[in-house]
Amino acid sequence: MKYYLKKIVSMLLTLLVVSFLVFAAFEIIPGDPALAKLGAEATEVRLAQMREQMGLNRPFLVRYGSWVLDCLKGNFGNSYSYNQSVRSMIADKIPITITMTIMATILTIGISIPAGVSTAKHAGSRYDKGSYVVNQFVMAIPSFFLGILMTFVFGLILHWFTPGGYISYKKDFRGFLGYMILPSVAIAIPKCAMSIKLLRSAILTEADKDYVRTAYSRGNSTTQVLYGHVLKNALIPLVTFWGMAVADMVAGSIVVEQVFNIPGLGRILLTSISNRDYPVVEAIILLVAVVVIVMNLLVDFLYRKIDHRIDREE
Amino acid sequence: MLLEVKDLTIEFHDHDRPERVVENVSFSLDRGGILGIVGESGSGKSMTALAIAGLLPRKKLKKSGEILFDGVDLLTLERAKLREYQGDEISVIFQEPMTALNPTMTIGKQVEESLRIHRGLSREERKKQALIWLDKVEMDDPERVYEAYPHELSGGMRQRVMIAAAMVSGPELLIADEPTTALDVTVQAQIIDLLLKINEKEKVSILFISHDLSLIRQISHRVLVMQNGRIVEEGAVEQIFDDPKEDYTKQLLAAIPKVIL
Repeated sequence: MKYYLKKIVSMLLTLLVVSFLVFAAFEIIPGDPALAKLGAEATEVRLAQMREQMGLNRPFLVRYGSWVLDCLKGNFGNSYSYNQSVRSMIADKIPITITMTIMATILTIGISIPAGVSTAKHAGSRYDKGSYVVNQFVMAIPSFFLGILMTFVFGLILHWFTPGGYISYKKDFRGFLGYMILPSVAIAIPKCAMSIKLLRSAILTEADKDYVRTAYSRGNSTTQVLYGHVLKNALIPLVTFWGMAVADMVAGSIVVEQVFNIPGLGRILLTSISNRDYPVVEAIILLVAVVVIVMNLLVDFLYRKIDHRIDREE
Repeated sequence: MLLEVKDLTIEFHDHDRPERVVENVSFSLDRGGILGIVGESGSGKSMTALAIAGLLPRKKLKKSGEILFDGVDLLTLERAKLREYQGDEISVIFQEPMTALNPTMTIGKQVEESLRIHRGLSREERKKQALIWLDKVEMDDPERVYEAYPHELSGGMRQRVMIAAAMVSGPELLIADEPTTALDVTVQAQIIDLLLKINEKEKVSILFISHDLSLIRQISHRVLVMQNGRIVEEGAVEQIFDDPKEDYTKQLLAAIPKVIL
């Protein structure tokens, strides 16, 4: 319990540092939001008025302080480009990114566990060597390129879906899920390949341990030994990887959304960056940071669930 | 006759030259008897034990002869059939109680595992049996141990857990492969006492493997002396220790440090 308290405090500190860096970064990067909003033909007077109105002429630390306090209240400010609160802009995009990430995570874990176990079980066989080659190949393809390939194959050749089409989750959730499948697969495949490789080697390391022989001596079959005894021990390094992978998938979905033309967080982020719409960009970066930090906490928690020795070492 | 080993030969083929680790070994074990196999490391005693338990590596290995258990040859039995014996009729306890238990599984689950595999018992029934056996191996507070993880127990306690897990299914044969080597001397004596008690009460036959002659003397009814994969001498425990016939046995006995009082 004390451990988690410590963890949460350090989590909040990390978030504070991230928020400061993000805010400071946009202070340093050249570009004037007032100019971006009014356009190049704006007069000096009009620009000064606009800066005043947007609160840009207050000192940096004052602006940072009031921004952090607002964020804590769930108010991320107003978009510079649209007369809308950042919150309302982001809120209905978050479910899209979350759905994609969850689906990709489920795919990654769901595929890599049986595939990792079976390649380890048949280590050294042709099947194992073949899957090694496929794995290495797939691992090297970035998600966005996979996305392009899949759009081409499933959309343009096989006509399984309309490329560029999208159904809002508010209108038809099942239709929406259908459009989420391919992007999720594109995000999941490289992670899957890495998970399989990691799991295979973790299982092979575990398989040499004494408790495996004990398990066989009780009449377990190889499959029972692998799933009943070895897997849980082999998952310890995998949990770390998956934690990082999920955080990475949130970031990766931003690119993949573009490929599949899905109006999620990615599109908003990209438009906001080019419009110098800092409040939106800052809010999205903070959001990603929160996901990364929460995933870390979750990984730590899962560790303790799997291996009770860790608790004692503290 | 519970166990009869005939002309057992085991050869490893994992290097350029085949390596014969067990050669023409024949012996038998009566129901309820305790047979000690003694020898230095590399004598083939553990390989013999693993062969009987069906735990030899499956690849790069040649084996011949017969291992008759209740008249069934385990050496040539297909794996699915062999598994019906493993953990049910034949149980094993190993040398390293520290590593022989799964670190991420509760003691209870490991003790009752062979019941889960071989008997169609309910969860409650399995737990009941496991608790009975944790008590029989003289653990304090079986309920707590049942929920504990291996790292929470001492080496001696873990070996008791191993014994409980091995005995819970009521096997005919218990193979103990150097079960006390990793433990300190006082704990060794307790484990030997426990095995003797179990042998007497449960009528289980024990194949006790050790390099330690004094342990072999304390526990065995009959003794088999092995060297370089072959049997050097076999006999009742009194005969081996009081009237050894072979030079190698005499040398081994002479090597036991004598305590001068």
